[in-house]
Amino acid sequence: MQVVESAVIAAAGLGSRIGLGMPKCMIEIDGVTILTRLLNAIRPHVATIHLVVGYREDMVIEYCSMHHRDVVLVRNPDYRSTNTAYSFAKGAEHLKGKVVYIDGDLLITPSSLAGFLAAAKSEDILVGVTDAKSENAVYVESEPEGDAVRISGFTRKVPGQFEWANIVSGPSDLLHNASGYVYERLEEHLPLKGYALDLAEVDTAEDLNAAIKFARQGG
Amino acid sequence: MKTAFCFDVDGTLTTTEILPCIASELGVSDEIATLTRATMDGHIEFEPSFRLRCLILGQVAPDLVRSIVSNIPLDPAIFSFISANQSDCFLVTGNLDIWVQPIAEKCGCHLYASQGDYENGKLALGKVLNKATAITKIRAQGYDRVVAVGDGANDVPMLAAADVSIAFGGVHRPVPPAVSSSDYIIHEGAALCRLLKAL
Repeated sequence: MQVVESAVIAAAGLGSRIGLGMPKCMIEIDGVTILTRLLNAIRPHVATIHLVVGYREDMVIEYCSMHHRDVVLVRNPDYRSTNTAYSFAKGAEHLKGKVVYIDGDLLITPSSLAGFLAAAKSEDILVGVTDAKSENAVYVESEPEGDAVRISGFTRKVPGQFEWANIVSGPSDLLHNASGYVYERLEEHLPLKGYALDLAEVDTAEDLNAAIKFARQGG
Repeated sequence: MKTAFCFDVDGTLTTTEILPCIASELGVSDEIATLTRATMDGHIEFEPSFRLRCLILGQVAPDLVRSIVSNIPLDPAIFSFISANQSDCFLVTGNLDIWVQPIAEKCGCHLYASQGDYENGKLALGKVLNKATAITKIRAQGYDRVVAVGDGANDVPMLAAADVSIAFGGVHRPVPPAVSSSDYIIHEGAALCRLLKAL
């Protein structure tokens, strides 16, 4: 049993598919940013939060200086040529113990995140999955196992019930030197336990509409 | 790994700028604060601005300066970290050694500062500290890694020379060149010290 002590949130990317000219975590839904929603959900569970910034970092830094002063901002100046796995690794540098890695464009129901973190205590690596719904989903090949799922693979080709949710807990060196996608590093550790989360991801304008509905329903 | 922790003093370790506090004795606190801010923001070169401020503040009696500086509030988390790691902590400040000495004594750590002395009651300014040179000297003391924490324009060479650099916005916003020379940006002493302890 090892509790998750730290969170690394990746918010460095360009968000080019939605193209709003700002980091996706700064999108406001009903006057509250995705970042604030995510931080409020994670803060009660961890001692340390590292937020990786890159694209329009000035905007996120300024926002955190006003609203989230406890958050450690980690710079990824190479955000144009690196991916989420790199940002996760950069954010986890110098952290010790178990870390939850979360993509900064996720809206997660607080109770669902709390359930994930409780389940994460008893797994070296716990993979977040969610009902398959996105355009460019990475599906998980899985079988039910108690109240969770057992993941045997990831695929972009064969649609399944669940997709990879861009949230995972594991050791602080989980993404160390990862060159590909996060799920490709996870493939090296298969089979893995998965936990189904109630969440919405904002990659496209259509996703944003769905996320607004999700947020209004308590997400 | 042997690590040196280097801290800027004004507005990083102290929760207020020191020179405007001394200037209040002469009734020119706002003026000195404006000059200090413009210097920290990089609008004015540090050395000529500092020389000018010393020329003005040299009029305040040394004992009075000492008593003012002794009462300058310190960030409690940073003070506690330095107190617990005295031998590996360094205050690196462009401020005058004779003025900031009470803070270094309180912290019990090393001090790299600009040099000055009173001769016949008149302040004589010596060498103004280059913070990058200070980092080189500190590293040469057998450290494998140097961590630097600062916020102003004169901290940029120190942040650029360090292995792990942190722009600290606990008191005021770190200037943009300090941010772009840093690995981390942190706005709270407690969060800063959690990271320092993890390094």
